[in-house]
Amino acid sequence: MTKADDRLRAAFALNDPPPRDAGFSAAVMERVMRRRFLEDLAWQGVLAVAGAGLLGLLWRPLQTMLVSLSQSLAPAFAVLAVLVCGWVILNGRGDSDAILQT
Amino acid sequence: MSPASLDEALVAAAQGGSAEAFARLVERHQQALRAFLRRACGDWSTADDLAQETFLAAWTQLGRLRAGASVRAWLCGIGYNKHLTARRSWARDRARDAQYGEGGGPALEAAPKDRVALERAMADLPVEQRACVALCLAAEFSHSEAAEALDLPLGTVKSHVTRGRARLLLALGVSDDEG
Repeated sequence: MTKADDRLRAAFALNDPPPRDAGFSAAVMERVMRRRFLEDLAWQGVLAVAGAGLLGLLWRPLQTMLVSLSQSLAPAFAVLAVLVCGWVILNGRGDSDAILQT
Repeated sequence: MSPASLDEALVAAAQGGSAEAFARLVERHQQALRAFLRRACGDWSTADDLAQETFLAAWTQLGRLRAGASVRAWLCGIGYNKHLTARRSWARDRARDAQYGEGGGPALEAAPKDRVALERAMADLPVEQRACVALCLAAEFSHSEAAEALDLPLGTVKSHVTRGRARLLLALGVSDDEG
């Protein structure tokens, strides 16, 4: 390392940004989060449209099947729904803590 | 934990979707990337915009980062490509470079003598040479690291650095025999 290199490095260092810059980091993360949100939204939109299309295609056979099933299984489903509601009320959503931590 | 292994751990976590790990990567590498882009393109606000876009691209391309590769070199490579793309598409860059070459702009007016001379000399260097000098002389990249980051042959990087260094020393009025 020569004195000339030292002087070059010192002159370059005058233009260095700060080692920590909360404003810059926050701006980057805001853009990253916005991108992630839009990607999630697009993905869920595609799933919703695909699901709706599939349901439309299968609706006739499903309807016949559901009508016949509902006659016999309605009491069992009612009990199951009450149990699930109770469990959710008592325990909360399983992944809510993980979502809050990220 | 060494900086390289900390980077590896953070990259692995970010690849798994951890925004917190990615935020730490941003914090750790923003200075090096922004300094490189400031030197490469000469305009601070453009450099910071490019740095933000680089991190955004890095977030979506994290899966392509090879295990054990230098995160800093990888980011500088993405940033350099963004800089080249911006140069091609922004017509106003020519006017900005001309202004930069003349030494205008608020950042230069109050600057110490060496800094002004250095910025002028950097602005006069060809784009590739400027990037090589910014990485090897200012950011302490090895020649091979810079070659990988800029996607240039090793010999080209070495000759760019040698020629660029000579021109910068001449601009600063420093003799190479001083050391």
